[in-house]
Amino acid sequence: MIKDMMDKQVLELKKLWANKRQLTFQLLNLAMIVFSALMIWKGLMFATKSESPVVVVLSGSMEPAFQRGDILFLNNSVDRVYVGDVVVFKIRDRDIPIVHRILKVHEKPDGKVELLTKGDNNRVDDRGLYAPGQLWLEREDILGKAVGTLRYVGMVTIALNDYPVLKYVLVGMMGLFVLTSKEG
Amino acid sequence: MSKKNKKSAAAAASAAPDKQPVNEKKAVKKEEKEEEEEEEDIEVEEEMELLQVDVGDIIKVKQILDETVAGTMISNDISAHGGTVRIREAYGHDNMKLLLMALACCFAAVAQFGLTNDFPKNRIWLGVCCGSYFCISGILQLIMTFIDKDCIMRIQPLSDPEAIKLVKKGGNKYLGKYGIRVRTQFPRFSEFYSVILEFNGKNPPTGYVKQTWSVGQFFDVDGHFDEEGLMLEIEKLYRRFEAGNFDKPNDVGGSKVMKKKNN
Repeated sequence: MIKDMMDKQVLELKKLWANKRQLTFQLLNLAMIVFSALMIWKGLMFATKSESPVVVVLSGSMEPAFQRGDILFLNNSVDRVYVGDVVVFKIRDRDIPIVHRILKVHEKPDGKVELLTKGDNNRVDDRGLYAPGQLWLEREDILGKAVGTLRYVGMVTIALNDYPVLKYVLVGMMGLFVLTSKEG
Repeated sequence: MSKKNKKSAAAAASAAPDKQPVNEKKAVKKEEKEEEEEEEDIEVEEEMELLQVDVGDIIKVKQILDETVAGTMISNDISAHGGTVRIREAYGHDNMKLLLMALACCFAAVAQFGLTNDFPKNRIWLGVCCGSYFCISGILQLIMTFIDKDCIMRIQPLSDPEAIKLVKKGGNKYLGKYGIRVRTQFPRFSEFYSVILEFNGKNPPTGYVKQTWSVGQFFDVDGHFDEEGLMLEIEKLYRRFEAGNFDKPNDVGGSKVMKKKNN
């Protein structure tokens, strides 16, 4: 059965290869489907002025407000952030963003803003997490302020990151679904 | 009878019976060859495999039917006037769509791969690229929804003066000026497949021909496809259009009936 399916697919590919115009159309169609998803992300980046408009909460440091696996929607087009705002920030030379609450805000006369953050579920502030010698965050370190959330939806992302074999299982299940639905 | 004469007579006598068997042998050989060729033909016909499709897959069934219709329309012998009338597919519209798709992909590629660094600084360019991509994507969607609809191919107007003359004599005086739009309909959960041929161009005449068949006419229970049968039906349909024997407008259209006019 699998061999028949493979033969059919190969036949379809050969037919497509013989008709270059149709092949071009199909390739561009596929490219547009992929680019549509990517452009939605880029569009969100443009609209929210945030490098990462959607993030997943990876730890329990913000419990009970946010649980591990929650998805957060960010907006970085806000002019100012205030004490109590939940923000996502990145520490210099580190890739993983952190979701914590603003504990202190210092505005200097020259307009420079210095921030101190802390996780709701942590005992101490985040100075221990900052880069060596860094005592305050700057406005440029903030990726965005949390403006919306989807509970637990991000658990799939966490599971796939923690257990890469799940990716193959997921793809295999999708393939099985395609097979069985065709048989039906 | 002299010896020479006897010899020559004997030679003639021996030659004559040889000639007849040689002729008979040739005839027999010819017959054998013809039989072998027929057998080969028969064998070739027997070896032809019909395309098999899962008849539950409506999309695939429509795809196969549409491909056959498109292939038949541009075949050399579709016209009642033989090879003089050559049907050519019009690629202008398709080329425009391909160009738009390629342009959209270019904008998207620049946004995705060209503007990754210094994000806040190049935000405007990111916005321009994303906006352009979505605009072009929207235009393509509008074209497919409102202009293409159920059209599967477009045929160019005839360009050969001989062909135009022949077709005019046959009853259709518009094929030299207007192309043909080939539309197909196969509603979901329906067994009926329709093909419509109508004029294509600026302010085209309203004449059209439409034919509907049950898919059971071309597919058996196991999904074997009678490609030849569909090709013959499409040929008949096109020849009806070529002869100007248009269908009367029904609830779709409401335009005047095109009558066949003899020159």
